[in-house]
Amino acid sequence: MRSPSFLRALPLVELGGLVLVALLCLVFHLRLPGHLPSEGDYRAVAERLKAEARPGDAVLLFPWWTEHARLFVPPDVPVYGYLGSDRDDLSAHPRIWVLGQPELPRSDEDGFLATFLPERRVVGTPVHEGPLSLALYENGRYRPRRFTASDAYAKARVYLEAQDGTRRDCPFDGQAHRCPGPNYLYVAPEWHELFYEPRRCLWMHAPGGPQRLVAEFDGIPGGVGLRLEGGIIWEQAHLKDARLTPAYLGVDDARSGVRLLEVVVPPGLEGVQKAEVRLPEGEPRTVKVWVQSDNADRRQVCLDVLAVEPAVGVR
Amino acid sequence: MMGRAPTRDEKWLAWALWVLAFVALLLTESAVGFTRDESVYFAAAEGYASWFRLLFHSPTQAFTDAAIVRAWDYNHEHPALMKTLFGLSHLLFHDGLEWTRSATAFRLPAFAFAALIPALSFLFGSALYGRTAGLFAALAFMLVPRQYFNSELACFDVPVAAMWLLVVYCFWRALEDVKWGVWCGVAFGLAIATKHNALFLPFVLTPFALWRAWTASEGRPEARTWLLRFVGLFAAVAVLYGWLLVSLGGGEDFQKKFLLLSPHTLLFVGLAAGGAWVLNGLKKVDGPVTRALVPVLAMAVLGPVIFYLHWPYLWHEPVERTAWYLAFHAKHNHYAWFYLGTLLREPPFPLTYVVVKTALTVPTSLFVPMVTGLGALAARAVLGLFARTRAWVARPVTLTEALVGVNAVTSILIISHPQVPHFGGVKHWFPSMVFLGILAGAAVARGCAALWDVLKAKRPALPFAVVAAPVFVVLLVPALVYSVRVFPYGTAAYSELAGGLPGAATLGMQRQFWSSHVTGVLPWINEHAKPGARLFLHEVHSGSFRDYQRNGMLRNDLRPVGSPFDADIVAYQYHQEFREQEFQTWQAFGTRTPVTGLYLDETPQVIVYVRPEGR
Repeated sequence: MRSPSFLRALPLVELGGLVLVALLCLVFHLRLPGHLPSEGDYRAVAERLKAEARPGDAVLLFPWWTEHARLFVPPDVPVYGYLGSDRDDLSAHPRIWVLGQPELPRSDEDGFLATFLPERRVVGTPVHEGPLSLALYENGRYRPRRFTASDAYAKARVYLEAQDGTRRDCPFDGQAHRCPGPNYLYVAPEWHELFYEPRRCLWMHAPGGPQRLVAEFDGIPGGVGLRLEGGIIWEQAHLKDARLTPAYLGVDDARSGVRLLEVVVPPGLEGVQKAEVRLPEGEPRTVKVWVQSDNADRRQVCLDVLAVEPAVGVR
Repeated sequence: MMGRAPTRDEKWLAWALWVLAFVALLLTESAVGFTRDESVYFAAAEGYASWFRLLFHSPTQAFTDAAIVRAWDYNHEHPALMKTLFGLSHLLFHDGLEWTRSATAFRLPAFAFAALIPALSFLFGSALYGRTAGLFAALAFMLVPRQYFNSELACFDVPVAAMWLLVVYCFWRALEDVKWGVWCGVAFGLAIATKHNALFLPFVLTPFALWRAWTASEGRPEARTWLLRFVGLFAAVAVLYGWLLVSLGGGEDFQKKFLLLSPHTLLFVGLAAGGAWVLNGLKKVDGPVTRALVPVLAMAVLGPVIFYLHWPYLWHEPVERTAWYLAFHAKHNHYAWFYLGTLLREPPFPLTYVVVKTALTVPTSLFVPMVTGLGALAARAVLGLFARTRAWVARPVTLTEALVGVNAVTSILIISHPQVPHFGGVKHWFPSMVFLGILAGAAVARGCAALWDVLKAKRPALPFAVVAAPVFVVLLVPALVYSVRVFPYGTAAYSELAGGLPGAATLGMQRQFWSSHVTGVLPWINEHAKPGARLFLHEVHSGSFRDYQRNGMLRNDLRPVGSPFDADIVAYQYHQEFREQEFQTWQAFGTRTPVTGLYLDETPQVIVYVRPEGR
């Protein structure tokens, strides 16, 4: 039996396919440079930001990894671009400039907008500089801040608190509240990674054993949301070693001792853990922000406590 | 299945391809940065070369274990063949003749090995599918950017791919010429002296040898008897080793009692002597069966002997140190690896990783013919199994083709195992890529032949080259453009299918690794760093820092430091698992704004920060 004619034609079909694929590849390489911004494009965008950005604005990169823009964006405008930043509420910023490169291969602008757009509204007309697009959005997820622990840290009272309530002070040296014991026991705002996200947060390494590292803050207003955000930094978070113990992060009312917020970070849990409670109206209060873990090993906690108003929504 | 000697023309072309590849690598290597491993091997090579100096000046002392350990202990997790060659090359071409810079001298042997791949691919491909296929296979290997990049390095991944191909080629040639069987054993010894991947080769080749011997001895009872004796001898030795292992109470005691005069050694000698006796008897009754079995015995005997002899580190403590070496690779660390948006840190790894990574990195115009080449071979094999479809196959799959097909998938299957470490990009399955290149050549050659047949009907005098040349150009030019575009940043290469580097970044693929892309920012640092500045080259091995200075690529007054907090300048290498280190730089320098960087098609690779004045 002879082979069917389509089998005899297969090598020709195969060659045609190979040539077609190769030609498409060539087209890809010829077109790619045209999708890449020049330094001039970046500078033009930077000029626009310099002229129009207001204090409190932020730049969000799309795709998230296009950090080349950091070289050009005015230093006083924070730039967000990390794996997962499309989903970030950016709740500290009332307005967001999305600096996009939608023409880059595999850029999924629709997918980005589906994640980004809820509770946001474009303001004005987006501008284009080469393949760069710059669009301003009103951020309906913005939550005005009435208190931020990492900003108020210098005025905090920091101490190690034993189970029976006895305290050992961690005096402030102008930069950090340094505790007796290992050199990692201090409280100060620092940049750290929490599951790829850069965060400026309060470094509060768990001291180990039953004792807690406590930072007391005064003047937390009533009638707002009290929010705890924190976690274990970097590669320490994913480890699930049996010797490691959960880290407990909490906020207590200093006067009554009532637990206002608590987050548990078991070994292996990555990312920023969040908890929020609505504080009743009333006089400003003092809160105790604390961390504890039975085994201090790898419990490198970074956290922040915020007093925030409700999201402003889109007007 | 029969081997075939190359024609005179083929030999010349193979040499030409070797020279072309060698010269291309030599002319372009200075742009390629030093990978983390490479600087370790540079240092090891210098240490090993120092032993040869000692051997020359004081041979008695050189052979003592103390002298050997002093020189050869460093980096004993890898065998010494390549590092020895790197060291001797450095001794000759840099220290002695002063013809090249230090790094080039180390790398020369790697070029020589890498250049074997196009030459041997051509010879093997030509014999199997014609010169068009051979030539395409040869060119295709060097036009895969990650393969070309790795060919530039004084490392082992490309050399072991070359040695793997050489062993298979010798094995195949042995089927028509018995002396190639011995060369197969020698090549295998050198292959395992290159890298441990080659230890899998006997498991790949022996079934082919036995199948060939079995079919060749059909209807020849005497030859069949000798074949069974040969198999029986190997089986008996294996059983006795197993019995020894059990009776001595397990691996540790087995290892302790493995002495020069011990049952272990006796069994090995028995295997060698018995095997030689069987093959001698077999030779008198059947040439083809003998030729099929010689490579098996040669690999079994010459492999371990060459491995032992090539590595002075083993001379005084062969068993214990070999056992350590094997155990090291059996329990290799897992490094973090970014893949499709997930940081892989520990097994089980995705089963499809190797195939996906290959698809996203090999130029698509080369990857597709690899797929169709392998697919067509598999289809012919399957169709040939059934009476109803057998006639559809114009040419049944030969054992040689099966040999190529099996070698094309072996390394890929090994690395695909979810428990096997998955770092290192694509380099760990280069041996497969060589054979996939031959199958790609077959796909292109049969297409060209079919087109030529059609066109000849109208223009009988049409030369084949008129068809093949434009096809080669169309298929190879995209790969060449891609190679040129990404060179010398080979670990960042992503194919058209991935959407290039930007597409791969969006897919969440490892941006780069091995630190060599720092060369992209060294000129800026050399120009702008203040005198004596403290430099934190993130991920760059301290040996590489030294090598950049030694090779004139980094100013000698700059000082290495180990942390952003101690640095005046930080060059951070973008790795998903190292994000913390960039944020530490923000913390240390009080700024989130870099001053420059290496951005390949917009993807951040290396980002440079400078400590602001007064901080």
